[in-house]
Order: sequence, then structure tokens, then C-alpha cells
Amino acid sequence: MSGAVNLPMPMRTGLPHFLPAVVLGIACVTSFILLLAFRPHVPGEAAPTAALDAILLWNSLLPRAAIALIAGAALGLSGALLQRVLRNPIADASTLGIASGAELALVFSLGFLPLLGGISRELIAFAGGFGAVAIVLALSWRRGLDPVTVAISGMIVSLITASLSVTLILARGEYAMSIHIWGAGALNQQDWSGVNSLAPRLGAGIVAAAMLLRPLNVLALDDSSAKSLGVALHGVRFSILILAVWLSASVTATVGIIGFLGLAAPAMARLCGARTTGQVMITSPLAGATVLFLADCLTQLLGPGFSDLVPTGAATALLGGPLLLLLLPRVNGFSAMTATADATSRQFRKPAVALSLLAAAFAVILALVLTLGPTERGLSVALGPLFSELLPFRLPRILAAGGAGALLGAAGFTMQRVTGNPIASPEVLGVSSGGGAGLTIALFVFGVPSPAVVLLSMALGSLGAFLVTIAIAGRSGFSAERLLLAGIAISAFCMAIVSMVLAQGDMRSYALLTWMSGSTNRAGAVEAWTAMITLVVLTAPLFLMTRWLAILPLGTSLSRSIGLHVLLSRLVLAILAGLMTAISSFLIGPLSLAGLIAPHLARLLGFQKLQYNLAAAILIGAGVMMMADWLSRVVIYPYQVPVGLFAALIGGPYLLWLLGRKERSA
Amino acid sequence: MSRVHRFSRRAILSAAAASAAARVLRAQDAGPRIATLDWALLETLLAIGANVVAATELRQFRQVAVKPDVPQGVADLGLRGTPNFEALRLARPDLIFNSNFYAWADPLMNRIAPVESHPIYKPGESPYILAEQATLAIGERLRLPAARRLVEDLADRLDRYKNLFAKGDGRPLLPINLGDARHYRVFGSDSLFGEVLKRMGLANAWAGATSYSAMAPMGIETLASMPEAWIVLIPPHPEDAFAALTESVFWKALPAVRENRVLTVGSINPYGALPAASRFADFLAEGFSYVRSG
Repeated sequence: MSGAVNLPMPMRTGLPHFLPAVVLGIACVTSFILLLAFRPHVPGEAAPTAALDAILLWNSLLPRAAIALIAGAALGLSGALLQRVLRNPIADASTLGIASGAELALVFSLGFLPLLGGISRELIAFAGGFGAVAIVLALSWRRGLDPVTVAISGMIVSLITASLSVTLILARGEYAMSIHIWGAGALNQQDWSGVNSLAPRLGAGIVAAAMLLRPLNVLALDDSSAKSLGVALHGVRFSILILAVWLSASVTATVGIIGFLGLAAPAMARLCGARTTGQVMITSPLAGATVLFLADCLTQLLGPGFSDLVPTGAATALLGGPLLLLLLPRVNGFSAMTATADATSRQFRKPAVALSLLAAAFAVILALVLTLGPTERGLSVALGPLFSELLPFRLPRILAAGGAGALLGAAGFTMQRVTGNPIASPEVLGVSSGGGAGLTIALFVFGVPSPAVVLLSMALGSLGAFLVTIAIAGRSGFSAERLLLAGIAISAFCMAIVSMVLAQGDMRSYALLTWMSGSTNRAGAVEAWTAMITLVVLTAPLFLMTRWLAILPLGTSLSRSIGLHVLLSRLVLAILAGLMTAISSFLIGPLSLAGLIAPHLARLLGFQKLQYNLAAAILIGAGVMMMADWLSRVVIYPYQVPVGLFAALIGGPYLLWLLGRKERSA
Repeated sequence: MSRVHRFSRRAILSAAAASAAARVLRAQDAGPRIATLDWALLETLLAIGANVVAATELRQFRQVAVKPDVPQGVADLGLRGTPNFEALRLARPDLIFNSNFYAWADPLMNRIAPVESHPIYKPGESPYILAEQATLAIGERLRLPAARRLVEDLADRLDRYKNLFAKGDGRPLLPINLGDARHYRVFGSDSLFGEVLKRMGLANAWAGATSYSAMAPMGIETLASMPEAWIVLIPPHPEDAFAALTESVFWKALPAVRENRVLTVGSINPYGALPAASRFADFLAEGFSYVRSG
């Protein structure tokens, strides 16, 4: 009875698999020996250089190796604890928003609260990380911390915090460098202070975890059984959670964001045969330490001279996407998420009239954002000559923002139809980040790509991301959870590519930062025309495909029985949606969530019929983005806020509210 | 009552007209109203006495570039990456100077006023020579003789410093900018600071060229690979990073630190033009004369 409870997942019984562990161990030792043998040496005369070499060895190389082991172990332990306490195989500092919350807090304190200089970085990082995870858990509380809901809440909180960090970085100009590197998690050390501060924390964490082993075991059961065994459930969960957040926030404060290691370590532990809670708790830190150590040795070995190939944290982040995909079959949502989210009874008797009213409201918004603007004397309405003077600057960006919003509305509508899932949208499914990966590759290949090349590569990236997401989700029967998790995985992978280039800190990273901040400020005639033409060309066919759009949400088998060519129709619609996303992402950056909220608002207003729903979604998307654009240029005039931020600040909470709602059908 | 009222109004109107006329006159005296997005051009324009009416990120400029002073009346256009074109329009410039860095904004700004572009940072070209050319071209365009004086004064001063440094220890210099406690940017031979060193007869410890004038980011351990050099720290850098670095064992063990060969100068805009070059040269001359006397 006192034995450990088995993990709730399919597994092979038998002897632990020693082979992967042995291979990993050998790889670590070999690469470290290679690193020692091939490490760069200081040039110059023999006597002083020997002393310097010794300093480099003892105060840079060895503490770096130690910090890789310690940080990896801490993250591995934190990931294992989080996964157990949340009963969620994809919980980790990255997916729960802990890392990005900590980053935002540190960026903020560095920029705006220099008075806080006395307070330690760890404390600030902990506050940020804990704040983020508290928001994530609060948002998914009503669904019983269902893994899928937690993952989505985590992704949205990460998106918003990352965008706020980017805004702050851009606002601060030259100071940004430290944040770039730090955000990408570089392990360089100049003495043992990092090790000295992190090692006791890891030790304390291990001791605490050992003491919590019994309740951890019990937690693997469901809540009622755990309670009957006499565990003070909430208290235990809360203290384990605090411990895990504290561990990962300490790592973030010391060496920056090390992406997805908390996800990788327990997975490796299981691969090496860890089965019981005790085994996982012991093996995960070891696996984490091994992976990070190996990654760090490799990036030093492969980098030229003294410099690294890529920041270690960015390299491990590349593991995140594939790992999430690997772990997908293990994730069991507690409650299926189906298209019941906003099945309101409200319906217009005369939708045409209602649509005209909506169009009229849209026209009012257009008039307002065109005329109302800040000047040095405060907000004023520009009419007459002043209006015609300012029009060439206002109109293109309003058209670009509105056009992008409309495209996103249509893309979100299409994706929700194709997948039969109410929370599908360009941002959630990783399609926007796919565009970012495309942009990154274009910047890498062409240096300074032309707008046409940028657009094309972003379109290819978006399309690729969406097709991969659909393919993965389709293989597992297209369930809503699979789809969203696949989207999150793709998104993580694409953003890892982006952040690797961001960490280079050159002109390419500036171009990427500008894109990530999603500003319509640069919109000129080209952007405005791109928005308008693609809006017409890409959305018009949708109105001719209403049959597909009506049938596909009913599911694959039903659609097929009605006589629909499921694969073809999905492919065509996916290409359209991917292109629409790419263009909007080109115009306003990766973040907005307008594609999510517009179709929902349309339905909530009462546009239930397909064509009206689509038209209303387009109008609402455009209106939302135009208002967001207006806010972005008014709030801190003459400085400007990324346009997607406001839409995300509205859209994020809405999505989470949608997820948190108790299902009517249940 | 009504007469008084009318009188006062007339008085106000005439006073307003007079002051407007005075402003026009002054504006004519001051030359055309100039705006720019680029910080290197901004400091050049301010240094030669152009009538700058709008520029970007002035809050940050006052902290990073420090000199020349930006007059209070200059309109802030917001971030360099996202300049506010409406604010630029409302500043009513007669002429806009731009650099290749912000070339994307040319078509938009052309609607406001003619745009003239002067590159200072181009891959493979000397920023010092380009900065000289830009200064002279702008001076000619605005008929400001101060431009030629700026170029010649600086060239003379660098020559003088060259004689001064010839009596120095002959060690190379490593001009760097701290990012955090573990990373720095180095300014290579093709950077503005690298050019200034060359003109003052000083060797740059960073042998290689660097892309776009600064290579970012280098791990701090690379400092050990240049034991001979003076380390010249160029702010702005995060204070906590500076404190953490200078307390570390590694830093204290560096030959440059042990032998007191570290010089921290004042804050300089690393992507500046001649005023930044002049600031850098003056700081070095001042620092080393202090070192020699102290």
C-alpha cells in the first residue's frame, strides 16, 4: 500500500530502460571532454596566458558547466512537480507562462522601477512568474484545471506578456541588448556567484520535494480519493505549486528563459524507465541536467572561437514543439470541448437589416478614427484642410489595420468551420507564428528581403504551419484538444526559430522585433492596397463555399456521407485561411486574437445564418482592429503602442472566459 | 464697455500679428525648419546650429547621447522604429534629413517635405568618412559654415591627440559597451569608435571588423583573450550589470583590471556621427591625461 502509484498513462512494464540513460551519459561525458580539449585559448606569451587560461577554466567554463547542470535539474524538478500537481503531462515553466511572466516583470523593473534596485532579481522574477501562473490557473479553475484549458490559458498569457515585453524593449531602444540575450537564456558565467545562488535553491527544492513525496503520490489519484486518504488537498497542491514556480523563476532570474526543459526532462525520465512518482522525481532533475548540459556543450563546441552558436535557452526551446507533439497522445482533457461555446438562442428575424445597422456602426467608427486624433493641444477633430493634410497618414494605416482585422475575422470564421471548433483561430492554431518563422527564414536567406518576398515567405510559413497542425490533429480524429495542442506545439516551434534569430542582436533581430510589435505605423499605399485587394480576392470565394462551410463542422464521417469531398474542401479552405492569416500577420504582426473574437461576437449579436455570420465577422474584425489602431496612436502620443496589443488585451480574456464557461449541454 | 472690449481685442490681435511676424522673421533668420528620424543626423544638425523642429526619441537621446543639448521646443516624434508621421506633419518642417536606416519612411515623409538622405552606417564603408561627408553636405545645403568648422576642428583635434597618445604606453584599446554582467558589444575597426582610435594613432584590440559597427553580443570571457589591452567601457550600461561584473572574480583577475587599465567614459550614442566621435576622443584624451598625472 505504501508503494507508489503508477502514472496514469500507457506504459510498458518490465525492467527500466537503461540504454537511453547510458547513451545520454556517454554523450555528456564525451562532449565535455571535447569541450575541454578544444576550448579556445588565450593568445600571447606563455606565462600570463597560462594564468588567464586557468581563470577562464575555473571561473568561466566550469561554473558554466555547473550552472547548466543545476539549472537543468531545477527546471526538470519544477516540470515534474508541476505536471504531477496539475495532473497535466504538458505543464512546464514555458507552457504555464511562468517564464514569460518572470521576463515581463524583470523588463518592467529594469525599465521603469530603477528604485527597486535593492530588491533582488529573483524576487521580481518570482512575483512575475507567480502572477502569470496565478492568472493561468484562475482562468482554468472552473474547468477543474483541465490540461487543455491550462495549456491554452498559458499560451495566451505568454502571448500577452511577451508582447508587453517587446513593447517595453522597443520603447527603451539601446538598452534592449541585455534583454535579448537574457530572454534567450545564455549560460555564460564570469564566476561562481550564479552557482552559489542557485545550488542551495535546488537543494532546498529537492528536500521539499522529498518531503512532499507522499502527498505527491496521493495526488495522482483523483481529488475525492486523495481527500479520503487524508491529504489537505488544496494546501498541498498550493505549496507544491509555489515550490515549482519558485524553482523555475529562480532559474529565469539567474540565466534567463530556458525553453521547455521542464517539459523535456520528465519525458526523458519516462523514456529512461522511470515509472513511480519517486522515480520520476529523482530521474527528472537528472534528465534535465543532462539535456541542458549537453545542449550547452554543443553550442560552445559548434560556435566559432569564444562565442556560442546560439544561446542555449533558445536551442532547448526548439525541443518544445516536437516534444509537445510527442506527448499529445498522453493528454486527456477532462471534458470535451465542442462547438457549444456560444450556441445562443438569439437570432435576428431580419438579418439583412441588422447587417446594414452593423455596417452603419462600422461607418461611424471609420469616420471617428479618421477625424479624431491627438495634436500637441490634446485630442481634436480634424476637419477641412487639416483633415486632408493628415489623411495620407491616417488612411493607409486605418485601411491596413481594418483590412487585416477583416481578413482575420474571415480566417477565424473559416478555421472554426473547418475544424468544427469554436476556439480555433489563426493565433491559437499557431498559424500567425508560422508566418513569423517564414519571415525569419526570409531574413536569413535574403538579408533585406523585398516586401513581395516577405509576403510570400510569410504566406508559405503560415500555410505550412496550418497544414501541419491540421495533419497532426486529423490523425488523431480531429478532436478539439488535439487540434489546439498541435497548434500550441507548432507555435512553440516557430517562436523558438524566431527567438534564435532575435538573440543575434543584429539588424535582422530589429526587423523581427518590429514585426513582433505589430505596428501599422509603417503602412503606406502598398500595405493599404495589399489589404484591400486581398480582402476582396480572398473573402469573396468564401461566400461561394457556404455549403462546405455549413457541412464541415458536422464532422468527417457525416460530411462524407452527405457526399462532400472532405479532404479537398478542407485543403481549399485551409489554403484560403492560411493566406488570409499570412497577410494580416504581415500587416499587423502576430498578435491580435481578432480572428478569434470576431466570429463569436457576430454570433453573439445574433447573426446565425452562415453568410450573415461571415459578413458580420468581417465587419467586426475590421472595426475592432481600427479601434485598436486608433488607441495605439492615441494612448501615449507621440509614442505608439503595438496595435495588436489592444486587440489581444480584449481577445485574450474573452477566449479564456469562453473556455471557463460551464457548458450548457453538460 | 463695448469700445473698451473692441480696443482690447484689437490690441490683442495686433500684438498677436506682431509676434507672428516676429516669429516668421526669426524663423527666416534661423533658416529652414528641419526634421530628422536619425540620431546621428540629429546630433550633426544640432551641432552645426540648424533649426531643428522635430526628431525622434528625445527622452532617450538626452540620456544616451547627452550632448548636443536638444532645445525645449523640438517636437518629439516617438520611437525611431515607429515615428509618428502626424506629429511630424504638425511640426511643419521645410526639409527632412533621413538615413538609409529609415529609408522605408521616405515615401511617407515625402508628402510632408522634401527628404534628403545621408547614409552614415553602411556595411563595408567607414562611418567616419560618411559622417564627414554628411556633415559637409548638410552644411552646404543649409548654408551653415559651422559644418566645415566642425569637420576641420575635429580633424585637428584628433591630430593633436595623436601626438599626445604617441607618448602613451602603446597598448591597444578595446572599446566596449556592457549589455549585462556576462555580455558586451565590441566596436571593431569599421565602427565609428574604431575609426576614431585609428585617427588618433591608437590600436584597436579587436582585430576583426564587425558587422554594422558593433558585434553583439560577445560572452564576457572573451575579454581574457586580449590581456594586453586597455578596456574602455562606454556607457550607457545597466547599473546592476556593471556592479555584478566588477565584483566578479573573473573581472578582478583580468590583467587589465589588475593593472588598472580600465577606463569608463561618459555616455555616448554608439551609432552617432562627428559629435559622438568628438565626445569619444575628448573622453579618451581626458581619461588618459588623468591616468598619466595620477
